[in-house]
Amino acid sequence: MSKTHMFRRWRRAAVVGLAAAAVVLSGCSIQISSQPDPSIGDNTMLINADKGNPFFTRNFNPYLTNTRTASRWIYEPLILINPLDGTQNPWLASEWSQPDARTIVMTIRDGVEWSDGEDFTAEDVAFTFDLLKDNPALDIKGAWQHLDGVEVKGGDVVFRLKGEDAPSLSILGQTMIVPEHIWSDVADPGTWRNEEPVGTGPFVLGNYNDQQYSMDRNPDYWQSDSIEIEHVVLPATNSQLDTVTRGYDWAYSFISDVEGTWGAASPHNDWWFPPAGVISLVPNLEVAPFDDVNVRRGIALSLDREEIAETASEGYMQPAGQTGLVLPNQEEYLDPEIPDGGMIAQDADAALAAFAESGYTLQGDRLVGADGEQLEFSLTTANGFSDWTRAAQAVQRQLAAVGVKVTLKLPQPAGYQSAISNGDFEMAIGGMGNGDVYQAYNGLLSSEFYVPSGETTSNNFQRYRSEEADALLAEYRATVDPARQKEIVHELQAIVYDDLPVIGLYYGGIWGLFNDAKFTGWPSEEDPYMIPQNYDSAPLMIFTRLERVKEEGQ
Amino acid sequence: MKYLLQKLGLFLLTLWAAITLNFFLPRLMPGSPADAALAKLSQNGPVSDATRAAIEAQLGVPTGSMWDQYIAYLGQVARLDFGVSYTFYPQSVASMVSTALPYTLVLVGIVTILAFVIGTLIGVAAAWRRGTWLDALPTLTGSFLSTFPYFWTALLLLFFLGYVLHWFPTTGAYSATTTPGFTGEFIADLARHAVLPALTILLTSLGGWIIGMRNAMINTLGEDYVTFAEANGLHGRTIALRYAARNAILPNLTGFGLTLGGVVGGSILVEQVFGYPGIGYLLFNAVIGQDYPLMQALFLMITVSVLIANFLVDILYGVLDPRTRR
Repeated sequence: MSKTHMFRRWRRAAVVGLAAAAVVLSGCSIQISSQPDPSIGDNTMLINADKGNPFFTRNFNPYLTNTRTASRWIYEPLILINPLDGTQNPWLASEWSQPDARTIVMTIRDGVEWSDGEDFTAEDVAFTFDLLKDNPALDIKGAWQHLDGVEVKGGDVVFRLKGEDAPSLSILGQTMIVPEHIWSDVADPGTWRNEEPVGTGPFVLGNYNDQQYSMDRNPDYWQSDSIEIEHVVLPATNSQLDTVTRGYDWAYSFISDVEGTWGAASPHNDWWFPPAGVISLVPNLEVAPFDDVNVRRGIALSLDREEIAETASEGYMQPAGQTGLVLPNQEEYLDPEIPDGGMIAQDADAALAAFAESGYTLQGDRLVGADGEQLEFSLTTANGFSDWTRAAQAVQRQLAAVGVKVTLKLPQPAGYQSAISNGDFEMAIGGMGNGDVYQAYNGLLSSEFYVPSGETTSNNFQRYRSEEADALLAEYRATVDPARQKEIVHELQAIVYDDLPVIGLYYGGIWGLFNDAKFTGWPSEEDPYMIPQNYDSAPLMIFTRLERVKEEGQ
Repeated sequence: MKYLLQKLGLFLLTLWAAITLNFFLPRLMPGSPADAALAKLSQNGPVSDATRAAIEAQLGVPTGSMWDQYIAYLGQVARLDFGVSYTFYPQSVASMVSTALPYTLVLVGIVTILAFVIGTLIGVAAAWRRGTWLDALPTLTGSFLSTFPYFWTALLLLFFLGYVLHWFPTTGAYSATTTPGFTGEFIADLARHAVLPALTILLTSLGGWIIGMRNAMINTLGEDYVTFAEANGLHGRTIALRYAARNAILPNLTGFGLTLGGVVGGSILVEQVFGYPGIGYLLFNAVIGQDYPLMQALFLMITVSVLIANFLVDILYGVLDPRTRR
């Protein structure tokens, strides 16, 4: 047999084999099912919450950027806030009052112990705030931007604020409290890794290695009666496939076709994706023509938010209105006088009319200004934020239909962050709002954060300035009356709705995935008691609400 | 001796160039380490001013002129002090690297040597028996497998052997339930976790060695001295190994030297797919997090090992092939 003939036969065999493999791969879809680790017991919860990249480092200092996720369940805040709607739950502070807009008095909870048996006291709270004052690098919530001084009065802690600043309660309340008897001996808390954490929380550190660590129930926890979870296990590496197959009780992840993947993997798998934050177009108001409200309105009217939401989030998220509020979470703040709950419908004629006010007219398929140039701009989003990228592409398509030319810019996340912080963009995609309505509007509108393009800011990226908004925000800070605060929120909505400092597109999602085979009581649309995320402090509340599923006969 | 000095001089010059590039390249990337950390945080909602200030205070922002920074950096390199990692703050770069390096060296190192030895031997056999099935089968499957992208093979193996058949673990370097230590149980566990990534590297790299060796071998087999050896009635295996293969292996050896130097860099995609805690995965995360100190240490390590491997291959070449010394 000749050599070439030989090769030809082999080649044919290879082609046939490849074709067969392709048929197998495409013809029958293979259903992956979850395969829980048999060594994980019924009283143990497996959580996909902490990612070691690629392995864990032993860092339980809750103030450092790279702390282990679970450190926020070992240390507790004074007030536990539900970021969905801003509800403030008493936590290490059993109650609080605001005698005036410059003073907050928190009563420290009785009968709480550190996990090493020492009593938790008001002195620990005062110590913690002094620690943050001495180490600004640890002050991640920015308590000392609001505080003048902290003092202990019996079982109370009195916070004296720098000015009239009623809403700072939520920021001070979220500060995690650490024990004085341990942290006072630490030479440099800014680089201390706190390898043996002692906290007040529901769990203490169990086994630790660089691939996985576990937490054990703290028998002396102040809400010990409400904790039915004996152990929590957190592995270091998790792919999306692992999330589905490994038998997690709780995960947090955007998953394509959640029903066909997570849902199909186990009959006990459930999920809840509430909205959080408004993903928006952020125009740089210092760049022409975005300094012109008619152009902003024209763009807002050109967009089909249904399609953008559908494209960006695979239909899991709803289009967002132009009030800056996250609905339905913050429904109680919505001004009933704003039409359609703030939703701006796509209306090509109205859009062209708005553009025409600023001299832009449609010539052929191009929207042309008075100078004869087509309206065009670049839209910046971060590479790798795939939902934002899909939203940006949808915006690009829809604006092309009214003759506006949009080019996309996709720097790496750090480059994106640097661009919006420094005003080095024309239009960008960004998030706004979430949780506390005051913080949302303050970050969005306050000229306190205004710096010209070229200087760095971390809020108000669009560089908005309005005396009216500033006055309203100042009045809100000085008001301890909730009714008046709500009126102010109505007026702030009207500003965002009329002035379009940013253009709302759709809601960002919170991707809570649960399995209720072992534990029930997860937050849900019917009972939204806490945001279903498994990082930060939110799990503290969820842990107390979860109940073990009792086998029959037990 | 002159040859050696020439090579040594070239080595030092390249090393300096590499160190310098290594200093400037990360600084040309847009955004700072604090920006990277903030971008990650802001995916979960707006980040306050205070958070930015705290993160900048934690990570520190490079100060001083570029020139001062460069001089300070050269001093650091000389002391092998790479400072504190940003993404794994406050862990030192040295401790991160020393945790990841053993995994990569053992996994990628062993597999690379294995692939080279097996591939070269198959290549010799294929060339010696060219035209038969012993030639066609390995050559075809080898080239077929090596045309697949690395990560595609990795994903196929992961999916079928890991998720569908449950033969091998799918992630990590060892089971979380075993305690690390020099026990039989732990080593067996490590080995089981290494199977899929090892198989991926082996399958995708084997083809190159087979084909390289086979072609070089076929060329040498056509040389007069081989015909002469055959005419002298020497044993087939002696001709194949001592006369043909020894000369044919030179180009493959160069490739092997370079690959071996690259072992230190790990295999980013394979480590990524299998969540294997080696240098490749670490490097990926360092780049994503704008972790200059970690990136610089890793790039330098990789560059230096490739340079050293290159240098050694040059020396070896000089020994094996007298013509290069002239």
